[in-house]
Amino acid sequence: MPSSAKREAARQRIAAQRAAEAAARAKAQRRRRTVVGGVVAAVVLVVALVVVVVVQSNRTSTSASAAVPANTSDGGYAFTVGDADAKVTLDLYEDFQCPNCKALEDSAGQTVDQLVQAGTAKVRYHGMAFLDTSRNDQYSTRALNAAAAVASTAGTEAYSRFHDLLFAHQPEEGGTGLTDDQLVTYAQQAGASGATVEQAIRDGEYEDWTKKATEQASKDGVTGTPAVFVDGKQLTAADQLTAAGISAAVQAAAG
Amino acid sequence: MEQPIRRAAPWLATAARLLLGGVFLVAGALKLPDPAAAARAVRAYQLLPESLVDVTAFGLPVIEIAVGLALLAGVFVRTAAVLSAVMLAGYVAAIAAAWARGLQIDCGCFGGGGTVAAGQTAYRGEIARDAALLLVALALARWPASRFSLGGADPAPGRTEYRSAQ
Repeated sequence: MPSSAKREAARQRIAAQRAAEAAARAKAQRRRRTVVGGVVAAVVLVVALVVVVVVQSNRTSTSASAAVPANTSDGGYAFTVGDADAKVTLDLYEDFQCPNCKALEDSAGQTVDQLVQAGTAKVRYHGMAFLDTSRNDQYSTRALNAAAAVASTAGTEAYSRFHDLLFAHQPEEGGTGLTDDQLVTYAQQAGASGATVEQAIRDGEYEDWTKKATEQASKDGVTGTPAVFVDGKQLTAADQLTAAGISAAVQAAAG
Repeated sequence: MEQPIRRAAPWLATAARLLLGGVFLVAGALKLPDPAAAARAVRAYQLLPESLVDVTAFGLPVIEIAVGLALLAGVFVRTAAVLSAVMLAGYVAAIAAAWARGLQIDCGCFGGGGTVAAGQTAYRGEIARDAALLLVALALARWPASRFSLGGADPAPGRTEYRSAQ
């Protein structure tokens, strides 16, 4: 073999070796970049998780010293109307902005009132406020706050009347909600007048309480309104959420 | 792989990235404005103890957004695809569990408090949608190489040669 051919072969071997080394270096570098990038991304994700969880916890936390209305029952989030010794307990979960709740009130509200007046059942009204929008100026919260103010100063019978008035005059969903002035007027009609009620309505005194009430309803297993429970058992079928359905369920529970 | 399929695959992967990434980004972002509603939506499934409800409701959207951004940008595509598949499998299981127990809830997939009007549940559609997305996520995890990706951590076989030749 001539020496020039040997040299050529050696050169090629060396070149191939260098190319392989360069490729290995590039590969190692890429891998290092991926690992570093992955670690950085993981750290950023963990930091973001912690920050968001803390921020959201603060946003949902309510002050322990927040005002609570008087005349509540069932752990502080319900207003009970009717004979305390009534055989059957009817739990109603409603949002004042919920159209299906208005439909139920329109069709079955009188029946419920009759069951209460007859002493067959007592009703526990559980307000919820989850249909706030900026367009309705947080109407769900303002309405429930006003109802709490009414009950707190004028008792649960006044709450019941105010509740009926608000459903009778429910603003349309997607509309602008009732104004605070209107809420004050209906409160007066329900029997709660005076500076205390008016101020509580305008200042949103029980706003934190409405948040807790909504959370409590969620903890009670309510995932939609209206929710009706007869002695703790929810009426789920559509034909049960009618005047006849509620009446039958209450009579059955009364035995 | 046949030649046309090999040429189309990276483009299909790009489409899968954009679809999954877009869905996760939107789904996560919609859960941030109302954390109380997010917590109610998680609670509505009645699967987690109360102590885990808040942390799940507040933390899950962050992971959804992170996965969505990674998929849209095309970085850590395989990891993000695997994470999406895990989340979607969990969602399918949770919705099916709610359905099987006769709960009346909205999945809360795109925000909202998990509330639904009586008789208005949409479990069938929700499960079908999440199962379809799960298949897309699994396919993307298997073939993550795609066009228009920033990462290039998982390049196509053809592209590896192209790169190392440089």
